[in-house]
Parts: sequence; C-alpha cells; structure tokens
Amino acid sequence: MGKTRTIKNKHAEPSKKKAKKAGDGGVKKTKDRAGSKSKAKVPAIEVKGKPNLGQDKKKQKRVYSEKELGIPQLNTVTPVGVTKPKGKKKGKVFVDDRESMNTILAMVEAEKQGQIESKIMRARQLEEIREARRIEAEKKEAERKALLENTKEQLRKKRKKNKKGGDQKSSEDEGPSLKELTSTGSKAVKSKKKKKVSFATPE
Amino acid sequence: MRPLTDQEMKIVLDKLANYMTDLKSLIAPLEDGDRYVFRMQKDRVYYVKLSIANIATCVARDKLLSLGTCLGKMTKSGKFRLHITALPILAQNARYKIWVKDNGAQPFLYGSNIVKAHVGRWTEDCPEHSGCVVYNMADIPLGFGVTARSTAEARRLDPTGIVCFRQADCGEYLRDEDTLFTGA
Repeated sequence: MGKTRTIKNKHAEPSKKKAKKAGDGGVKKTKDRAGSKSKAKVPAIEVKGKPNLGQDKKKQKRVYSEKELGIPQLNTVTPVGVTKPKGKKKGKVFVDDRESMNTILAMVEAEKQGQIESKIMRARQLEEIREARRIEAEKKEAERKALLENTKEQLRKKRKKNKKGGDQKSSEDEGPSLKELTSTGSKAVKSKKKKKVSFATPE
Repeated sequence: MRPLTDQEMKIVLDKLANYMTDLKSLIAPLEDGDRYVFRMQKDRVYYVKLSIANIATCVARDKLLSLGTCLGKMTKSGKFRLHITALPILAQNARYKIWVKDNGAQPFLYGSNIVKAHVGRWTEDCPEHSGCVVYNMADIPLGFGVTARSTAEARRLDPTGIVCFRQADCGEYLRDEDTLFTGA
C-alpha cells in the first residue's frame, strides 16, 4: 500500500520539491524573471540616498514576456503538451449523470441517422443509375438486332430479285440452261412465248 | 472499475448505434428506480445496474473479474470492439436483421460469413456495410455481422456470394471461452 501511495503522489510532490530546491535551476522561467527583478531592485535600495531615481529606472533592463519574444512554442522551456490549465481538476472527467449521457446519446443517434440516410440515398441513386444503364444497354442491343435483321431481309430480297431477273434474261436469249433445269426443275420455269405448231396443209 | 469518460462513452454508443435503433432505452430508468450504467474494468466495458455497480466498488480492482453484461473491449488504439456477450442487448432493438435458414446456421456458428443461399429473409432497404443481427428462422439471435451488399444488390448476387460478414457468433462462447470474459 505504501508503495502505491508514493506512486500516486509521484507527480505532485517532486515538482514541489524541485521548485523549492532548484530555485535557480532554470526549470521555470517565471522564477528567473522574479530573480532578475529582485536583482534589479537591489541596486535601487543601495543608492537609496541619491535623488536620481529616473536614471535607475532607465538602467533597469526590460523584461520581455514569452509572448513578446515570439519564441516558437516548441522551443520554450515548458513544452506545449506539458502545460496544464490551472484550476482544472486533475485526471479524467467521467460521465455518469443521466443528463450528460442523454446529450451524448442524442448526438450519436442524430449523427448515425444522418449517416445511414445518406448511405441509403446514395445506394438508391446508384441503383437508379445502374437501372438506367441496363435499360440503355438493352435498347442498344435491340437496335443492333433490328439492324441485323433488316440487312438480312434486304439481302434476301436482293437475291430473289436477282434470281428473277436472271431467269427472264435466259429465257429470252437462249432458253433454260441444263444446269438451271436440274436445280430448279423443268416445271419451275415457264417461257412466256406460246409454242405454235403449224402443219402443212394438203393440197 | 470506473465510469466511462466523455470520449469513451461516445465511441461505445457510436458502435452500438450501428446495430441498434433505440439507444435511449439502454439508460432509461427501471421500475424499481434503478438504472443501467456503463462501467469500465481494465479494458472491458460492462453494462450493469447501478445498484450492483455500487456494491461492486468494495471489490478490489485486480480481484474483480466481471460484473453485469460485458459489451466488449476497448482496443489500445482507442476503438471499441463488441463481443458476442452483447448480443442480447443488440437483439432487443436491432436496426437490420438477417434470418438464416437451418442449413446456414451451422456454418455461421462455426465462424464463416453468410452466403446468399443460406439467407431465409432479410430487412428491406438495408444499405451495405451496416451492422445487422443474425437470427435463425425461429427468431433466436445467433450473432451479428456487417452487410456486404445492399438488399437490392444482394438480390442479383449468385447463391455463393457473401451477403454478410460475420463479426461475432454464439460459437465464440465455446471457441473463445478462455478469453471472452477476462483479458488474457
């Protein structure tokens, strides 16, 4: 128990001791300043009888505060993180009363609600975009298919026309060739010219 | 054992709010005038009745192993990790729920994530990466996790696609028996 007590007061006691023992150790600047002031005052006391107090005042060196010097904060004697605000309770501040818990609760709930809502909104927007993209892709696919069908149809028609045109020509010029006859059959092709048979009349 | 600080309380509640909706019910006064409070013992956060917490002050810190319900532990990086022991509290007011079929309960309890084929049903309009409590089809809470996909996305997923990443499951009561309640 004794050991733990000494540990607990570790921070409090030695600092006091240090402050007392090492007064001019240069731990705190305020002390030094106080010392310099006292030093400056000492000659004033010695030359008590002299009336020229104004001269003494002129001799006094001006003591600059840390703010006036404009030293970077990390370069000072007591670093930034070490200084603790005076008059504040040492250690952690606990939350145990219902009011403060309620305020934290309300804050957290509102924050979370906002986060979730924004998440849902974003998800919905993304979903809409995805849906639109899908529909567009489907549309494009359908268009492409239609175009393909169209060209196919056109080609088919062209071929039919060509066939018809070719048949007419052949019948007009030479009549159906043997090859065509074998492929299409003899009945498929009919010549427009009527065949006439004429007999010689007996006298 | 000590109450939580402002910062710690915010972190804990923030985590709980991922899974729960009505946080105020956690600290609402009880019928007998008592209320529940959060207490920290070593790095664990406990949810305990104030009267019991007051009684427990007479137990030395190093001798006190556990009290109330252990919600989880504070990591050294200052985050809060929920334990499976917090499941009954989360399941009371779960924000999003997933029900797993009987064939999916065992894989989940053995520590694997939930695949789409094992999902019986889930809460509509659930965004991705949000906390959800996992139930079996008989409405018994099995654990909790984080959704991998939003509900809309999950519909298009193939049956082997992961729907929910496991965070904790009841199987931990057996698997992590030695470290669950007291720090190793």
